[in-house]
Amino acid sequence: MKHNPFIRKMLEKITEQILRLSGAITSITILFICFFLFKEGIHLFNNPDIEKGYGLYVHSRNPTIQLSPEQTKKVFDGELDNWKELGWDDKNISLFRIDDAFEIHSEKDLGENYELLPQKLSEIISNDESIIAFLPKKYAPSGASVKELISENIKIGDYFLGKEWLPTATPAPLFGVLPLVLGTLFVSIIALLIALPLGLGVAIYLAELAGEKQRRLLKPVIELLAGIPSVVYGFFGLVVLAPIVQKAFGIPVGETALTGSLILAIMALPTIISVSEDALRNTPREMREASLALGASQWQTIYRVVIPYAKSGISAAVVLGIGRAIGETMAVLMVTGNAALIPHSVFDSVRTIPATIAAELGEAPLGSAHYQSLFLLGCILFVFTMIISIVAEIISKKKNYKTH
Amino acid sequence: MNKKLSQQIAFSIFRIFGILVVLILMSILGFIIYNGIQVVNWEFLSTYPEEGMTSGGIFPAIVGTFYLIIGSMLFAFPLGVMSAIYTNEYAGNGWVVNFIRMMTNNLASIPSIVFGLFGMSLFVTQLKFGDSILAGSLTLGLLALPLIIRTTEEALKAVPDTYRTGSLALGATKLQTIKRVVLPSALPNILTGLILSIGRVSGETAPILFTVAAYFLPQLPSSIFDQAMALPYHLYVLATSGTDIEAARPMAYGTAFVLIVIVLIMNLTASFLRRKLEKQ
Amino acid sequence: MDKPMIEAKDVNFYYGDFHALKNISMQIEANTVTAFIGPSGCGKSTFLRLFNRMNDLIDNTRMEGICSVDGKNIYDKKINIDELRKQVGMVFQKPNPFPKSIFENVAYGLRVNNIGDKKFIAHRVETSLKAAALWDEVKDKLHQSAFQLSGGQQQRLCIARTLAIEPSVILMDEPASALDPISTSKIEELVHDLKKQYTIVIVTHNMQQAARVSDKTGFFMLGELIEFSDTKKMFLNPDKVETQNYITGKFG
Repeated sequence: MKHNPFIRKMLEKITEQILRLSGAITSITILFICFFLFKEGIHLFNNPDIEKGYGLYVHSRNPTIQLSPEQTKKVFDGELDNWKELGWDDKNISLFRIDDAFEIHSEKDLGENYELLPQKLSEIISNDESIIAFLPKKYAPSGASVKELISENIKIGDYFLGKEWLPTATPAPLFGVLPLVLGTLFVSIIALLIALPLGLGVAIYLAELAGEKQRRLLKPVIELLAGIPSVVYGFFGLVVLAPIVQKAFGIPVGETALTGSLILAIMALPTIISVSEDALRNTPREMREASLALGASQWQTIYRVVIPYAKSGISAAVVLGIGRAIGETMAVLMVTGNAALIPHSVFDSVRTIPATIAAELGEAPLGSAHYQSLFLLGCILFVFTMIISIVAEIISKKKNYKTH
Repeated sequence: MNKKLSQQIAFSIFRIFGILVVLILMSILGFIIYNGIQVVNWEFLSTYPEEGMTSGGIFPAIVGTFYLIIGSMLFAFPLGVMSAIYTNEYAGNGWVVNFIRMMTNNLASIPSIVFGLFGMSLFVTQLKFGDSILAGSLTLGLLALPLIIRTTEEALKAVPDTYRTGSLALGATKLQTIKRVVLPSALPNILTGLILSIGRVSGETAPILFTVAAYFLPQLPSSIFDQAMALPYHLYVLATSGTDIEAARPMAYGTAFVLIVIVLIMNLTASFLRRKLEKQ
Repeated sequence: MDKPMIEAKDVNFYYGDFHALKNISMQIEANTVTAFIGPSGCGKSTFLRLFNRMNDLIDNTRMEGICSVDGKNIYDKKINIDELRKQVGMVFQKPNPFPKSIFENVAYGLRVNNIGDKKFIAHRVETSLKAAALWDEVKDKLHQSAFQLSGGQQQRLCIARTLAIEPSVILMDEPASALDPISTSKIEELVHDLKKQYTIVIVTHNMQQAARVSDKTGFFMLGELIEFSDTKKMFLNPDKVETQNYITGKFG
């Protein structure tokens, strides 16, 4: 059969198409990822800013029309306890939740299927001018003396600029990603500040100084550092590094931004070393010889000729190192303490975007606002890393000077 | 400053940095191996966790990781190799190749947790695979794709063009040339890539968190639609959220030890293969 | 005869097991131009690179014998290699400017030798560029990239760069091999002018060039110095039959 030229030709064609298809699949995977993340994430902004299916109700004499999610949260946390602060008379706010109804009324009063509940709720509200009630819309109270506060959809600005990440708060969850974004950048940049000098130094050592023997030792060491699973780094950080940091700086807990940065620095080292070593090696031999022939010492040659020549490659190493750090999940999750607060010092506990996703997605109900907000975090991370990888690509292609 | 002195200072610093990197690796490996080796024995490897995972073994996690390696490689290895063959042998040098290369490069830079999100959204929810070995394997496979493609491409590029022209000149078709000449001589390098991918896949936690990993299962998975335990997730659980973290610590050391050993074996095999190739 | 500027005594050189230079002795006087000729792979470049210890950069090499410059054994353990290379400048086969501006290329050798005086550097850059016959062509674009220059200009820039550190010897390793004929003749004129101040050793594969620029010529073959004498004599009436064959084109 194989000798039939027609069949043979067909086979060739078919194989080529199959191969082309594989190429297509791999290259559209990334678009797929992008599509699915945004598809889930974008729905967040279709959610009301208080819990789905619930409403906030006040007495009709209350002039308040609307509360922002932050105000709602403060009211129900008791941080805001007087209507004066919200622009009305000097009255203490009395909070009412659906559970409270069952304390006032017996189940009999409310009817078999709670059909009497809305009426009772109306009574409760009309009897108390200073009340604010958080109730399911299913049992929405009605009547002239009841007013529902306007609820809007979650705002894009509140998401990207919000300073509080409290996704499970009721009645109004807060989805402010600022602490997570800043936390991520904070640990990554500190990690880079630690890893860059170290990595560059090792790269210079490997490219310029080390003999065959030392290289044969260091190369596999660096490969192994890259190969150790991040959960093992996290474990090491948790068991060894965190206690060391705690003791060394005399702080109450060792799980801090600094601990995370140290672990991330170790994890970013292989990337930084190998990319910048390649860049250093690419400096033409003639450049080095010319410099040495002018009486420059080896070190002068390295920092005046070799490093400037390898500048773009080294910058690419920096960018890729940051990329590695920003996306790292498990190690950071295990050692940074995970407080969703904007960090002020390296001894603060921080929570990064990947760690938030990993820690919370398991608990977020499928399709809920919380679930969607985590996918949106994934989108932010995706965009971050895309930008980083494109920047790295551009930098490493750019030459400082055209050679001819 | 004196030329010689500044050179001596700079070079000693670099040398110290080099030593430091070795020391970092040694301390991590040493710590895990020293503590782990006291726990690991045949019983540890072959029995189920007991007493709230504070004693017993990690057998189901080993089996789970094994399944995930097989599953992800069954999916990603052929796809990655075929895709690399296409870009390297068929697609020429036009924008198509550049596009595919760019996309694979970008895919490589995506954080593993994002793969986890994607896997959960597409495989678990949309395609209704549920938390399953299938969903986990596909997610891990996607993660390993860029690595497989890159190593395969490098392997194919290392095959001298004279082999190809020689074969074509003898009247062989392109497919025959690839099958009989190019692939056989690139095979060892491609296998190196496969081995490295296995090392990578066996240690990843974030992609399997929401696609397959189970906290504890009393029996082994029986189909690809079952959940499974896995070594890296098991280590995470033991280290952070077990019932009694202190009591579970030896189990954690043992699990970390097994993970490290897998990675070490994969890396050593890969570099052994590579060195053998270089000698030829 | 004066003390020779450069002297080699019983020099042997090995790349691993390969015996690249065999028992070579030579004396070169100050303020002369000496050319090394011979077929490729004969060792002439290797021999040249002994005098600023450029061969040190190649792993797994070994040198025996004595090389001295200005009366000092340059392979002595106490010798400062950076200082030696300052004294013995080198111009390479391919122009190899740094990815810096024209000015910075010439200033480089001064800067690495801890000269920080800006006026002095500016002055030295100008005189060096003038001495390399490049000043008029580049004086308006000193701060532009050196890569903008043509190949011939780049090579003269490399010569200026070498002159800036005021060496006493200049080694030239086929300095015109990558250049067009016009650039080549400019370099040759330059070599002729520089002879007044410097001792120049030039490796070339171009016999006419050797005949045009040099006072003395050494002919190398298979790692041996076959003949070393006045250029005129060498080209008109060589002692050795191998030299005769090479010059008349019967060989290589």
